[in-house]
Amino acid sequence: MASTTATSAAVGATVAVGEPFQFPEMYNFPPFFTRQPTESTWKEQRRQWCDLVLAYYRHHRRYSLSLAEAVTAPPFVNRQLRRGLRVDVLREIIDELVKQGNAVWTGAKNTKDACLVFWRKPEVWAGMIHQWASERGLLNSVLTVFELANGDDTAGQEFHDLDAATLRRALDVLQSQGKAQLFAGTSDEDLGVKLFA
Amino acid sequence: MRKAVGIGGLRRQEAERRALSQKGTELAQREIEKLREQITVMKSNLEDFVRVHQREIRNDPVFRVQVQRMCQLIGVDPLASRKGYMAELLGVGDFYCELGIQIIDICVGTRSVNGGLIELDELRRRLIQRRLKGSEPIVEDDIRRAISQLKPLKSGYKIIDFGKRKMVQSVAREMNSDFSTVLTLAQYTNKFTKEDIRLAWNWDLDRIHACVNDMLCLGIIWIDDPDDCCEPEYWVPAFFHSNPSS
Repeated sequence: MASTTATSAAVGATVAVGEPFQFPEMYNFPPFFTRQPTESTWKEQRRQWCDLVLAYYRHHRRYSLSLAEAVTAPPFVNRQLRRGLRVDVLREIIDELVKQGNAVWTGAKNTKDACLVFWRKPEVWAGMIHQWASERGLLNSVLTVFELANGDDTAGQEFHDLDAATLRRALDVLQSQGKAQLFAGTSDEDLGVKLFA
Repeated sequence: MRKAVGIGGLRRQEAERRALSQKGTELAQREIEKLREQITVMKSNLEDFVRVHQREIRNDPVFRVQVQRMCQLIGVDPLASRKGYMAELLGVGDFYCELGIQIIDICVGTRSVNGGLIELDELRRRLIQRRLKGSEPIVEDDIRRAISQLKPLKSGYKIIDFGKRKMVQSVAREMNSDFSTVLTLAQYTNKFTKEDIRLAWNWDLDRIHACVNDMLCLGIIWIDDPDDCCEPEYWVPAFFHSNPSS
């Protein structure tokens, strides 16, 4: 869960990308890659896939997924087993994640080809950003979104290097909570934000 | 005995024989009485023994099994009633009750994956994992006893053998003999195809389809159908354990 202090965030921010990801036992079970016809079995299968997607994306700090591309690589492919998930099955899994609030479809309306994966929900990112700003005495001053994500001041924070689309969603949450005001610039990179208590 | 001669001798033989048999009965009676006394003494000694060695009984599964065998020989069933004095003396009434609850928990928790069939060894591994460090070790015999205690629940907990593989079933269903046959076929490779079944027992196709479909519906098997061209394989999740990383 979100770390509660700036210092622990600094310590935990360097994700152990070097460490290999621990796949669950199911990942080595060939039928895991076939959509099970029995509904109760499928529900369990889907649940495990959802957990796996979030865990894998959290481990590798990935934020978005394009279905066509995703099914050509881990975690949706197990090269050793020579099995891979089909696109339509992955789509069902993402739909479930969307239901749980852990993903949103991006791209044109009614197309389900790409999505954002929220292994940490925007509300939680929002909380972390706000807390950091509050602790640094940066409330009521204008920051650029670029600074937030990439500035030296945020080095060591969990949200440092946060994907732009996800960061934008987090800021939208703060805005809807009345804790931030966004200022559009000429491009997304120019976006500014003022955070309030 | 004096060798008898003549009628008198025969009569005397008869009388002796009768006296002997009566004596025999008396003797038998007396033996039986003595045995009864001995058993009472043994029971009481066993109770004392159990009381004194309670800790070892709880902590040493091999010792525990031996003590339980002794109890059985003498005709004392320590698990006859949880509130029974022996269960309390052995201090194991709670142990098996606790174990039973953990078994139920694991079986219910894995049911959506394995359809209510779990390998005995896998159950044991999960039990050991769950239990706190330093708590009593578990052997197969303990699991069998805990499961036999679950009978009154009528939820169908029982141990079934499929060839060499011992499984715990936790769903109240009659293990259909066709299922058993197919599961036994899969015991070494963890999987099978419909063609395997046909080759092994020459069942007609309807019977094979029905059996496989039922097993799928019950969640006992999962289908592996990577490409629509090749024949799908059916895997038994209860048999399958990849090298456990945890």
